[in-house]
Amino acid sequence: MSTKEIQLMAHLMRRAGFGATREELDELAAQGYDETVELLLDTDNPSTMSLDLIRRYHPDHMGMMGIGAAASWMYRMISTDAPLREKVTLFWHGIFATGYTKLANGKVLHDQIRMFSKHGLGDFRTLLLELSKDPAMIVWLDNCENHNGAINENYGRELLELFSMGVGNYSEQDIKEASRAFTGWTIGNTEYMVLKSMRDSIWPYGRLSFHFEYKPEDHDNGEKEFLGRKGNFNGEDIIDIICEQPATARFISRHMYSFFVADEPPVPEWPYKPPRDPEAIEILSRAYFDSGYSIKEMLRTLFKSDFFKSESVRYERVKSPAELMAGVLKLTGEFPRPREEIIQTHMQSWFMGQHLLNPPSVEGWHWGTEWIDSGALVERVNFASERLGNLDSPGVAAMVDKVLSNGDGGVEPEELVDRALDQLSMSRVTDTTRESLVEFVEQSDKLGGSSGLPERERAAYALRLAAAAPEFQRA
Amino acid sequence: MTLAEAEVREGRLSYNRTIGVTAMFGRGLYYPVDVAYDRDDRLYVINRSSDADKRGVRITVMDFEEGYYGIFGEFGEEEGQFIWPTSIAVDREQRVFVSDDYMNRITVMSTSGELIGVWGEEGSGEGQLDGPNGLAFNDDNELLVVDHRNNRVQRFTPEGEYAGKFGSPGSAEGLLNMPWGISLCGNGDVLLADWGNNRIQRLTAEGEFVASYGTPGRGEGEFHRPASACIDDDGYIYVADWGNHRVQVLDGEGRFVQSLRGQATISKWSQEFLDTNVEEAAARSRANLELPVELFGGDPHEESSHIERFFWAPSAVKLIGGRLYVVDTCRHRIQVFDVAGSG
Repeated sequence: MSTKEIQLMAHLMRRAGFGATREELDELAAQGYDETVELLLDTDNPSTMSLDLIRRYHPDHMGMMGIGAAASWMYRMISTDAPLREKVTLFWHGIFATGYTKLANGKVLHDQIRMFSKHGLGDFRTLLLELSKDPAMIVWLDNCENHNGAINENYGRELLELFSMGVGNYSEQDIKEASRAFTGWTIGNTEYMVLKSMRDSIWPYGRLSFHFEYKPEDHDNGEKEFLGRKGNFNGEDIIDIICEQPATARFISRHMYSFFVADEPPVPEWPYKPPRDPEAIEILSRAYFDSGYSIKEMLRTLFKSDFFKSESVRYERVKSPAELMAGVLKLTGEFPRPREEIIQTHMQSWFMGQHLLNPPSVEGWHWGTEWIDSGALVERVNFASERLGNLDSPGVAAMVDKVLSNGDGGVEPEELVDRALDQLSMSRVTDTTRESLVEFVEQSDKLGGSSGLPERERAAYALRLAAAAPEFQRA
Repeated sequence: MTLAEAEVREGRLSYNRTIGVTAMFGRGLYYPVDVAYDRDDRLYVINRSSDADKRGVRITVMDFEEGYYGIFGEFGEEEGQFIWPTSIAVDREQRVFVSDDYMNRITVMSTSGELIGVWGEEGSGEGQLDGPNGLAFNDDNELLVVDHRNNRVQRFTPEGEYAGKFGSPGSAEGLLNMPWGISLCGNGDVLLADWGNNRIQRLTAEGEFVASYGTPGRGEGEFHRPASACIDDDGYIYVADWGNHRVQVLDGEGRFVQSLRGQATISKWSQEFLDTNVEEAAARSRANLELPVELFGGDPHEESSHIERFFWAPSAVKLIGGRLYVVDTCRHRIQVFDVAGSG
């Protein structure tokens, strides 16, 4: 298999999944790029770590009173054979950002994540409809306070501004009319559920899950005018009209480009900054309409496009903390079964700036280079290096075996670094990176005296160094 | 079968009360996973807690009337501390034994929480442990330990000396797949919750196959990941059907008798909470807590997350003084049922 083919496959797996081992890349490259894309898109029957198994070892992942539900998701990210499904779930979690701080209920957030997993690759209309009925979203953006004759515009505003069209494509009156259409879309037992959330109450017997309830008596049945159309609209009609808008196609396409192809500036800057690749946005927008708003078809178009395969976009995304973490844990193989350490491990992504199920606001996280500040970078490098240099992890031990099995022992520093980079599927790094890594290995060899580090520790050290390279922080 | 006998069969269990309340620390329960009792019928409840908040790891000492006698034990790796406490048993000398799945050891304490000893080491050799779970004492005061990742049961003296083992991995009769709870029958046989094989197995004290109850599923007499089983003097078998979030009763032949989804009411400790939090109690009184199960697509986990009176992951069933105690893990309480014809 050519180096170029392996590099392209590594690029695909970093973007459509959470990376792959060198052996997996060989197998995937052998079956071909387009076939691998189809395999990634086939997410109907994923095999992941059994939920029963997770819940047996972690009863709190069943009761899900707190944020520990995010750790259940991390298990899925690192154990699934359908990584695109989890990646798309992460994509929507970043856009439809909903947080624990207000809900104080891990189960309803877990339900929302499960909804993204189920509908995230389907058609955008269904996804928006499910989002509008999602109990976590209803409480998060106060649609339970949106009443006939006394509207609360919070959900109506964000539906247009952050979830579908972007600012500049609708009026303040459109927000009001959309909000009127969503009156009566609430959750059952609103008063008690909201009070329990406000008080962070776990009494008397833990949390109670939320369920969607439509109250026709609280729905505004009057005529509405929305985006130039008039009618006795309900929420479904508003979503239909939103999905027909070219602005929606462009907005979702730009999000998709930013998440899967190359970092775009934060969303608030979009009205003032053109897309990095306007032609790519046009291609994706066309796929949106041609396929009846299908997210899966948009992604098929994206992964098979020249703009995605181009060398110019390799490593042009900064991995989010969750992506970085899932990628590392997948390589180390340290969670073959549920272990107590998952919660502390998962908390590391919080220290890196991404607390899953608890985004900083409805705007979600600012992606791209904003992930990297000096504190977060130290956390990121330390996490990756410590984990990938730990010979006790089965995945690291296997990679060390591979690094050492390719030679006759006494591997020269340059060769050692190349093999370590290859095991981390990073065969394409800058000369500066490679030279720095070689220099560190040489220094270590000198410091170690005549005998140096034992062979396996030396190989693990090379993996640890490679994980500290700038390219490893990027996808 | 006479009419009276039929009535006893169908109504083998009748709800008595709920005890406990959610509490991360101190009086109350937090993800309880097992219960044992001493000669004074005091209850020792293991709280597994949340991995995100270790303060809840402890043993709560209480009784049927919700008398509170304190807590002991805490999270940690030191002797006398626990990481993943899973099962508890009290021997005839009134010593409390706790298995720790994570630490692969058994901790022995007095009923007031003083450390007596710790034994056990990780491994798959004789006397070594890989995931100790269910505990039960036989008539010789030997401790049976479900060594679940080794798919076997081992016998030890209370001091931790190895005394024997049986069981090996598989799905054929007598073989085991990640077993969880264990209890003794009157004749010395054992009942094992063969979790991964979705069945209850009855084996002799030497591990010879006697009977198997249940098949995988959600119907009557079927199980999904059963966690615990016990048998009464009349031969009725009670099963914590963990993955189906219910308790099932079988007769001595293994035939289905009764299924319970849970009937929890407000416990004494819970009522005290509501009495002092009147705003929350008022909102609760206006809520409809009896939601139709049809809302939740036939998924018992979803039903239990919404309907408070239902069991949610019942992890252990224990017969204590003619009553069945069901440890209702994700609702942080114990539901207690009277057994027909007992006491």
